[in-house]
Amino acid sequence: MMDTSGTELPLRLQVSSCLKTLSTSRDSREIVHALRTLVSCLEDGESTRIHHTRALQVLVSARGLHWFSRSHDKDEEEMKKLWGEIIIRGPAEQTLLILLDTISSTGESEALDRCVSALEIFLSAARLQVLLWSRCEVGGASSNSPQLTETVIGHLAALPSITSNHLHTNTPDLFLPQQYYPLLAASILDTLEKTCHALRAGQDCSLGFVSQVLGKVCIQGYSSQMFETLGPRLSSVTRVDSLYQRVTQKLLENVPERCTESVITGLIRSLSGAAAVSRLMGNLVLTNKKAQFVLTHKLLLQQYQHPTGLLKSVLGYLAVDSERRLLLKQVLRSLCQVWCNSSAVKHTCVEQQLYVSKALLLCVALLDDSEIQELRQEMLQCMLGGVQCRLDSNVERIRRMGMVVGECLSHRLDTPGSQLKFQYETDEEISELKSLMESLSVKDDEEEQPDTSNSLQRELKVEASVLSQSVASDPGNGNESELDSDDDLTPYDMSADQEKKKSAPPRYVRDCLEGLMSSDDAERFELSLQVAETLLRKNVKAAQEVSVQFSKVLLHLEDRYNTALFLSLRQNAMVALTVTDIKPVVDYWTTEFYALNYSLRQRLDILEVLALAAQELSEPITNKPTVAQPITAVTALGQSDDITHWRHVVDQRIQSKTRRISKGVTQPVKAVPNRYAAVAGFFFFPLLRSYDRPQTTFDLLGGDHLVLGRLMHTLGLLMHLAVNAPVVSQMGRALLDFVWAVRFHTDQMVRRGVMFAVCAVFLSMPSENLLTELGDDLMETRAWLADVAESDCDSYCRSLAVQSLMLMDKNLKSQLHIPDMEI
Amino acid sequence: MMARPPPDPLYILRGSGASVNALHFCCGGDGPPLLYSGSGTGAVHVWNLSTRRAERVLESHAGNSVIWLHTLNNSRSSLISQGRDMRVCVWDLSEGRNAVTDSLHTGSVGFCQCSLLESQPGSTLLAHPTQHMEEVSVVEMSSWTQVCSLKLDSNLGMLMCMKMWQADSGPVLCAGYEDGSVVLWDVSHRRPFSRLKVHPEPVMSLDVDVYRQKGISGSSEKILQSWMLDNKKSLQMHDSVQMTNPGVSQLQIRADGKILASAGWDNNIRVFGWKKLKPLAVLQHHTDIVNSVAFSDHQDPTQRLLAAGSKDQRISVWSIYSES
Repeated sequence: MMDTSGTELPLRLQVSSCLKTLSTSRDSREIVHALRTLVSCLEDGESTRIHHTRALQVLVSARGLHWFSRSHDKDEEEMKKLWGEIIIRGPAEQTLLILLDTISSTGESEALDRCVSALEIFLSAARLQVLLWSRCEVGGASSNSPQLTETVIGHLAALPSITSNHLHTNTPDLFLPQQYYPLLAASILDTLEKTCHALRAGQDCSLGFVSQVLGKVCIQGYSSQMFETLGPRLSSVTRVDSLYQRVTQKLLENVPERCTESVITGLIRSLSGAAAVSRLMGNLVLTNKKAQFVLTHKLLLQQYQHPTGLLKSVLGYLAVDSERRLLLKQVLRSLCQVWCNSSAVKHTCVEQQLYVSKALLLCVALLDDSEIQELRQEMLQCMLGGVQCRLDSNVERIRRMGMVVGECLSHRLDTPGSQLKFQYETDEEISELKSLMESLSVKDDEEEQPDTSNSLQRELKVEASVLSQSVASDPGNGNESELDSDDDLTPYDMSADQEKKKSAPPRYVRDCLEGLMSSDDAERFELSLQVAETLLRKNVKAAQEVSVQFSKVLLHLEDRYNTALFLSLRQNAMVALTVTDIKPVVDYWTTEFYALNYSLRQRLDILEVLALAAQELSEPITNKPTVAQPITAVTALGQSDDITHWRHVVDQRIQSKTRRISKGVTQPVKAVPNRYAAVAGFFFFPLLRSYDRPQTTFDLLGGDHLVLGRLMHTLGLLMHLAVNAPVVSQMGRALLDFVWAVRFHTDQMVRRGVMFAVCAVFLSMPSENLLTELGDDLMETRAWLADVAESDCDSYCRSLAVQSLMLMDKNLKSQLHIPDMEI
Repeated sequence: MMARPPPDPLYILRGSGASVNALHFCCGGDGPPLLYSGSGTGAVHVWNLSTRRAERVLESHAGNSVIWLHTLNNSRSSLISQGRDMRVCVWDLSEGRNAVTDSLHTGSVGFCQCSLLESQPGSTLLAHPTQHMEEVSVVEMSSWTQVCSLKLDSNLGMLMCMKMWQADSGPVLCAGYEDGSVVLWDVSHRRPFSRLKVHPEPVMSLDVDVYRQKGISGSSEKILQSWMLDNKKSLQMHDSVQMTNPGVSQLQIRADGKILASAGWDNNIRVFGWKKLKPLAVLQHHTDIVNSVAFSDHQDPTQRLLAAGSKDQRISVWSIYSES
């Protein structure tokens, strides 16, 4: 006792005298000497902790320490070296805390620079490892207060934030997250290794501190940087070392509960394959409730941003161990529930549905036959319900997803003779979904890479031998084959050689109509359909005589002979009819749209034709040379034709008599009447007439929401094409009324149509009319649009809502500014 | 490898004023290569293939359709033409003349084209149809004396087409009939060597490759049928090729025996490899039935052109498989 106090006393005295010198002296010799003494005093690590801390505090904050710049070069070198030694030798925790505290409390000064460089020295001298390890040794630093521990963890985890908050752009690269966290991760790895050694040597260790550090870093959002380094290394080490496996599992177990999610997610993302996950995590999912929740619920059902690889890892991890397979079954049950939930189909976005579908397929692929039998009832229910509500959807992607998943499930259920089979076009998404059903191996990706070079060579060889065989076995046609072949003559492309039609295409509108009605002659039918459009456009008078009859025939036309381009030919003819004899044909279309006994397809056709015809009418006539023929001009423009003709003739005369010196200038665009403006009402209002009168075969507001969506869309188009027409205000008012009734429709296609229509109204209606029309509903409309823009599950709806909001605001602004200007 | 796109015509000869029924090249002698064409209104155009213009137009056959043209003695100045006015005319075109020096009344009202055989100088045989539908008459040109009349006892229907050539044993004539048969005649002995029912429909055209002893015939169907002449001069079916559209007006084998051209009712000219009947090209230009095809007899193989005359009044000239 005496002895220790005896040595301590002079040590303390010595240290304090040195520090005194350092803080006051300005002579470099003296300072160097003091430093040297200090270093030698502090050599003996453990017993000098307190002194060291004090020394550091003094050194860092001493006002007089501008000695670096004042001194001679040689002294400076010496000083720097000694300074570094103090940093490196000192207790790591205190050093780190002091340095960081100083950095965060000191303004821009020499002392700050010194601390920054000290911290750099600290980090690059692997002091982090020392720090972490000191906390692992049981009994070593366990006496520390929890408060201090918390502070140290906080500082360790947030070093990049603390430093860059004060240093701003002057932060050294080493402190940036991209460099610091990998360094920290490497230190953790090193600590784990040391732990293994210690355990082998029979020494106890505690990983609590490291786990807390890891958790803290991950929850701050740096899990990817950490696990970039940790993941692969741990995965490869644990493959051979079972002790290391236990250490890692322990590490993960000790992670605080609130950090579990970010740690596990980061870990799984960094690993490839379920086997690696299983090695590192052990049965964590069984012992840790939080981990179980994250793995079986959160990652699968609540989030959907993860890559498919993560799903494979998670589900594979659950499948590897027999104890965990119970959880896998549980997961399948909940996935089934979600997948067949019709409300989920309607209210979650497509991406999430895809994610859940993937999880479901993976899960089914991982279960073995006996388990499938056990879960058969649930799966069957899920399949039937899910497929049905997806097929009801108007979004093609969702329908296809339903079909594929349905097929895969029914295939797995293996109901004899009653497997589902759908027709759909395969794309990347579909083939990815299908590929998930192929048996999964839970091995690591690195392990299962086959020796491709060998097998490839073998294949090549086989191919070559087949080739040579076929060459040898080709007998040729007798002896003349060599001499008498035409091989020296290369054929030309003969694809244009097609069968000639026997009958001539019809040359009169009535013949064409008859050809379309004749049910037996395929060729005649085909030819009639092909020329219908041109005939109708060329012979306006004749077309007008039979327009309604022709429309009827076209509307009921069936593709009996599998005619090429049937749909577009028919549609073009229908459009041609509509624009040549506008009023009667449009009347016919709009009446038939609500009539009995039409298929959805026919009703959709009517809408499409109306939209296309309106578009064509609204375009300037000059773009259509066929329509601009004199004969068309006479009939289409009615009374005004005299004037145009007369003007045309005069213009031509002037043109021919005028001598032009320069011909470079292009003619200005001539204004032409919009043919649609006058008839927009015929197109528009009849379609709004009876939407709320359901019939036995057609219920627009009920089951036929596909048509409703298209109708909204078409109305929006008709509205937009009528921009600047006098009737547009009435149209806008009517459309807004209509929209108001269906704005909360559950089908996203309908909502898309609604948003489109609203956009069209805002675009085409004059702003002063718009405001008066909206009137009291203005605020409510705004609120509704804002709500859609924020929370609709369909991204297209959201973007359209944003667009409408902007248009509305623009209208509002321009409207509110005008009175100001006038005053 | 992508197949080459089909070639375009080398040039088009316009201005015949009526459908073109018969074509004949003449490249021998002095001067530019010539192409004779016979039209549906009795005009015979002589086309200079260097200037690509009609050098002269002969009004013939009293405005009746010309169905066959040939030069005599390989001379560009003497021409023989057959018209629907039941006459065969011999023309003297030398030194700017255009006079009919001789003519023969055949009495045939059909479409069968004559066939000429210049076996030795001074003796030229002409096979022509007669007023008896199924009869072939072979005459000595210099005197119009009939050498023989060939007619089978069984009813084969109308004579449709024929080709005469010189074999070791004497002149041989191959004729196609309305019932689809092809008959090989021994002209000197006035008897048939053999008879083969090749088509179910009338034989529209035939051509024979004398060197290979192989012939080809087409009818109003989609199929072209080739047949062989074996050592005993009997006809054997050989090969066939399918076309996309039915009907051929004329078949021509090129002199070098490499390719075969067909004038199709579907407005297309088809080119086949002659040895295996491999389809090689479909030449699309005409807008109406192609009536006639002819290969040039130019000395330089690279200048051997293919000409086709059509009902659309145009003659298209093609250079196809003529690179050496």
